[in-house]
Amino acid sequence: MNEEALVVKLFGIPFNVGNVLSGLIAAIIVFAVVYWFSRDVQLKPTGKQNALEYLIDFTNGIVKNALPDSEGRQFRLLAFTLFVFIFVSNQLGLMIEFIVGDITYIKSPTSSVVTTLSLAFMVLVLSHAMGVKRFGFFGYLKNSYINPNPIMLPINILEQFTNFLTVALRLYGNIFSGEVLLTTIGAFAKSKGIMTVIPAIPLEMIWQGFSVFIGAIQAYVFVTLIMVYVSQKVEKE
Amino acid sequence: MNSTFLLSVAGGQVEWGDFLFYLLTFVILVALVKHFAWDSIAGMMDKRAEKIADDIDSAAKDRKKAAELAKKREAALKDSRAEASEIINNAKKSGEEQKSNIINGANEEATAMRERAEKDIAQQKEDALKGVKAQVAELSVEIASKVIQKELDPSGHKALVDSYIEGLGKQNETR
Repeated sequence: MNEEALVVKLFGIPFNVGNVLSGLIAAIIVFAVVYWFSRDVQLKPTGKQNALEYLIDFTNGIVKNALPDSEGRQFRLLAFTLFVFIFVSNQLGLMIEFIVGDITYIKSPTSSVVTTLSLAFMVLVLSHAMGVKRFGFFGYLKNSYINPNPIMLPINILEQFTNFLTVALRLYGNIFSGEVLLTTIGAFAKSKGIMTVIPAIPLEMIWQGFSVFIGAIQAYVFVTLIMVYVSQKVEKE
Repeated sequence: MNSTFLLSVAGGQVEWGDFLFYLLTFVILVALVKHFAWDSIAGMMDKRAEKIADDIDSAAKDRKKAAELAKKREAALKDSRAEASEIINNAKKSGEEQKSNIINGANEEATAMRERAEKDIAQQKEDALKGVKAQVAELSVEIASKVIQKELDPSGHKALVDSYIEGLGKQNETR
């Protein structure tokens, strides 16, 4: 994991270069794969189109579980992109870790808490906006905060923050800890020469496989929870 | 161990530029995916779902139509079978009728022909007999006159000759 982060100030705004670079690469990979898979779309699907459609069906299923079809349609693209982006972000650090000196340039974007908070914040703000759009401002307030009972008001307000934090920190924690353990195993392998390299190889393999699994599960959990929170905003309770 | 732990606080500084970056990146990513992939793929999936529903509907309709058609055809077949047997029966009946007509006609004609033939034969025989009778009478008178010359008075002996010829005719008939 990164011991140091290279921070560049642009127009007075601090950017973490490692984080930005990794996010950009993840986004490029997502777009390239989706673009490549969606060439030559036919009514009778073949090969890569089948794979992409399976993925779209999967994320559509997540949306459908939380929202009825009439409401859920508009969130399908969001759920799909979010899922694929987070999935690729989770796996990126397992495949590439680019460190020069002490500075990390490429890692899993989601192993930084800023990334996960950004994504969660973005989508939750969107969910509030959709709530306002659906019920009007006062309808939104009534639906989200004083239903079913005004006594719930403090809890409901608190919930908005806990939802936001838990969903972001859960993703961050899982991916970050996975990378920490990978780094630790790497350090263990280098500590005593050949004696430790050999046992470290299967350990590293097992943990990497497990991290792939965790990355997939966490992407699913993140999208599912976001959709549940969205449904709380746009559905009458 | 990690200075960026929680909110990336490194010397009190939060790299909030990353937030802007991710916001922008994600929005652009969504827009690109929508433009280049989502619209065509999702449209195609919707179209396929529609087509499948249509196909199921039309298949049900087709099957119903086919069953109706089969029933109709069966009824038509039954009708045509009855019609065919009727036609055959008619033909048989008319054939029989015609046959009996022809046979009757033939019988009648044959009878008529035989009757006529018999009549003709009888007539001819009578004519022939009459001719022969006259000739014989003349001939015998001539012969007799030649044989007995003057002694014979034709009118006085005619009765004798006639009776003789009668005897000849009888002899012929018996023979």
